[in-house]
Amino acid sequence: MSGGLPQALELVFLDPAVWLIVLASAAYGVFIGATPGLTATMAVALLVPLTYWLGPVPALAAIVTMVACAIFAGDIPTVLLRIPGTPASAAYADDAHAFTQRGQATRVLGVCLLFSVVGGLFGAAVLMAVGHQLARVAAWFSVAEYFWLYLMGLSCAVVVSRGPVLHALLGLLIGLLLSTVGLSAVHTEARFTFGQPELFQGINFIPAMIGLFGVSVVLRNLFDLPARGESPGAAAVEPVAAGTGRKLFRLLGAVFGPAATLMRRRPRQLVRSGCIGSMIGMLPGAGADIASFVSLAASKRAGHDDATPPDPAEGIADATTANSASLAGAWIPALVFGIPGDSVTAIVLGVLLMKNVKPGPEIFESQSALVYSIYLIFILANLVLLPIGFLAIKAGGYVVRVPRRVLLPVILLFCVLGAYAINGSYFDVGVMLGMGLLGFALERRGVPLGPVVLGVLLGGPLEERFIQTLTAADGSPLAFVNRPLAAALGAICVVLWLSAALRGLRRQH
Amino acid sequence: MTFLLPPTPAGGRQPAPALRAAATALLIAAAAGGCGREEAFPQRPIVLVCPWSAGGGTDRVSRQLAVLLERDLGVPVNVVNATGGAGVTGHTRGALARPDGYTLTTITPELNMLHWRGLTNITYRDFQPLMLVNRDDAALFVRAEAPWQSPEDLLRDIRARPRSLKASGTAWGGIWHLSVAGWLSAAGLQPGDVIWLSINGAAPSLQELMAGGVDLVCCSVPEAQSLLDAKQIRCLAVMAERRLEGLPNVPTLKEGGIDWSVRGWRGLALPKGVPEERRRVLQQAIERVATSPEYLDFLRTAGFGAAAEGPEQFTTVLRNDDQRYGALLTGEAFRDVRRQRFGPLVFPVVIGVLLLAVLGALVASGGLRPIDGGQALTVRGLDLATWAVAWVVLYVLLAEWLGYLLTAAALLLLLFWRLGVRWQVAAGVTLVLVPATYQFFAVWLRVPLPWGLLGW
Repeated sequence: MSGGLPQALELVFLDPAVWLIVLASAAYGVFIGATPGLTATMAVALLVPLTYWLGPVPALAAIVTMVACAIFAGDIPTVLLRIPGTPASAAYADDAHAFTQRGQATRVLGVCLLFSVVGGLFGAAVLMAVGHQLARVAAWFSVAEYFWLYLMGLSCAVVVSRGPVLHALLGLLIGLLLSTVGLSAVHTEARFTFGQPELFQGINFIPAMIGLFGVSVVLRNLFDLPARGESPGAAAVEPVAAGTGRKLFRLLGAVFGPAATLMRRRPRQLVRSGCIGSMIGMLPGAGADIASFVSLAASKRAGHDDATPPDPAEGIADATTANSASLAGAWIPALVFGIPGDSVTAIVLGVLLMKNVKPGPEIFESQSALVYSIYLIFILANLVLLPIGFLAIKAGGYVVRVPRRVLLPVILLFCVLGAYAINGSYFDVGVMLGMGLLGFALERRGVPLGPVVLGVLLGGPLEERFIQTLTAADGSPLAFVNRPLAAALGAICVVLWLSAALRGLRRQH
Repeated sequence: MTFLLPPTPAGGRQPAPALRAAATALLIAAAAGGCGREEAFPQRPIVLVCPWSAGGGTDRVSRQLAVLLERDLGVPVNVVNATGGAGVTGHTRGALARPDGYTLTTITPELNMLHWRGLTNITYRDFQPLMLVNRDDAALFVRAEAPWQSPEDLLRDIRARPRSLKASGTAWGGIWHLSVAGWLSAAGLQPGDVIWLSINGAAPSLQELMAGGVDLVCCSVPEAQSLLDAKQIRCLAVMAERRLEGLPNVPTLKEGGIDWSVRGWRGLALPKGVPEERRRVLQQAIERVATSPEYLDFLRTAGFGAAAEGPEQFTTVLRNDDQRYGALLTGEAFRDVRRQRFGPLVFPVVIGVLLLAVLGALVASGGLRPIDGGQALTVRGLDLATWAVAWVVLYVLLAEWLGYLLTAAALLLLLFWRLGVRWQVAAGVTLVLVPATYQFFAVWLRVPLPWGLLGW
């Protein structure tokens, strides 16, 4: 195994093609991530034909870099426009956009960037150090454990939301109910489809997310758009964000300064978020989105007892660390058992097999150079993200300065394109519009939208695991708690609900 | 970014080539219309509908074929994953697509099961089969430390303790479920004697096998290859006619005296009614591609079984499969299996009740009134919001007919005008944004944005 590392160093760092591909993929990933509706899975699938002509190392470099950059870039529209670029950013959409409204977009984007990079590096370190041993853990998770895990993710969405608990719960239940439209994954029997074949596949969560966040933002803004001739009323303009030339150093300070301070102040929380991300990413079927909600909940719970109200930037930092750390986690079961940790690694497995690389425990012995190369690529990808992400933040600064009356139609066009892109279906565009109206109505009544999106996203898997667990036990509800790990996860869920209920009661008095 | 640029007629910020291409396309269309027959086919991007999600076996085969077909035909071939509904969505979309030869579908055996289960009216008769491009045999897998050494051991155990063992491999009623049900029937047992957990896909089923949630997984061999190589699972038997090359020590079910074999397959098909000349062009291209060394190489390294069967053989396969699965799914033995104990309405009812409870509590406490600091619903705001909603509706109605470029440009200008943007700004933004988004989405990201009046 010792011969692998020098060979890997040579494969990764001495090949100019790898560097070029990493840079190009980073730019591609930033575009994909920053455009709501374009998912990393779709972008990777598009890269696959390209990898036929590449060696395994450049091919994997392209995929790893692209995904790492896409997850960070999802934060950019989240912060600037409150439209999550990827579901992984939905957890802190409200918190993050609040900074922009106060004119602090640069600060919070800097936090997102720096903590994404550190989270990604943390995930890579976990993959390198204990990936081989940790793979066993994924094999402990049966359907009952997954049921609790999904319920935990959903509960976290309620816990982290701003505002009253009951409102968040209402949003969550609406999302869950929407997720039951179409053929259920378990029964493949049609429900609530009203004979429409398009509804068989249910409500796709990407158009739903674009509608709930994007279209509702457009509608909300149209209502307080000043009439023609009045003051332009552009969103809060930041003087620093658009700095050029000489101001570069000042801008660097503005982006990374507060983030670095935050990081120095809270090393323990950083490790916690990284661990949450790696563990959740490692489990097949749970990814960056759940990781980010759980980490945010952990952050808010932990800081709850302090007398001073916690800085929302801390929560954002923890969540964005976790969602980036989860990416490397997904590779653990993929490499060790050939079981993909998420849809991206599913495609990666296809690429590996095409290159005659068979994943499995022996890959660490027989292909050690390739495994080390993957580790190095993860490090390289996250380091490249620093300058590329910085440029993206700088470019994002200009978006905020575009007058709203010009920006809103453009956003609307991107919403339509994003909803259409995922499946090439006009029905999805209609879903997006309906969800936009729903989102607008819910927001007016103080119902947060994050739980709705997570409900639509996780409702299907939750129901699947619920019915599977019941079926496996022939109807006995004991099946949910009769394995030690399932019981432990169930206990965490109960604690979460109790704490949420307490918070609700305390608020009333 | 140039590495993803296929030879399509539209330049990002260079309107000149785009215009030229559009004009050429118009001319060709006019000429074709005037002569009343085809000048050349294909001229524009072809869509390959894949009913299963990205990263799965069908997706991998589809994407490989798309790359090779693209090279052969000289036009982009875009894979669209129309997933959901256990394959209903993709198969329906493929069968109902316009029969102009520009939509192909990767069909799978589920086509012959869905209509028997009342999920769709689409059958194999709605398709024109082109070519069967891959076949995989089903096999039975258990954990490495499981007590059973042969399929007979397993049958003995099931007979002794019915409904104590759990199995999976795919969703309820999918091909591997029918494989196990047919095997049990052939052995004189009830299909319901093994509890089937409806898990979507082979990979999560194998993960469940390792976690101890199920005792038996039925899926194709390439899907389980990594775990098999890692010695985490064992293969008890293959459901093939004869032993497989890759697994010479694993017996077939037939050797144990049970005549039951199942093969999954994948094939390309057109909707019914495509003109014969176009069908022949595609047929020949697919034949070249499916027998090319590159494709066979891909199948071998990925572990997929090779096959290349033309329309007649493919139709026979489809007809036989349809009769076989029809008999199984509508038969007496399968009836009790068809209905699951926990029906599709259990979960929605639980959620619905909770929702009503929360809603009731909120309404009673007055928590659902519009929040303080919310905006007033002004007449002007309502007017603009109605415009925005109408904007999206208009896009949906017009895009297919007018094409993306014209629709997007017209609608953008309309909304800019309503919002009172100066016309110079509006025109500038529209002229830059519309071609740029086309380049980004349609050319680089292969989103099938329509051309409408401008060409196709």
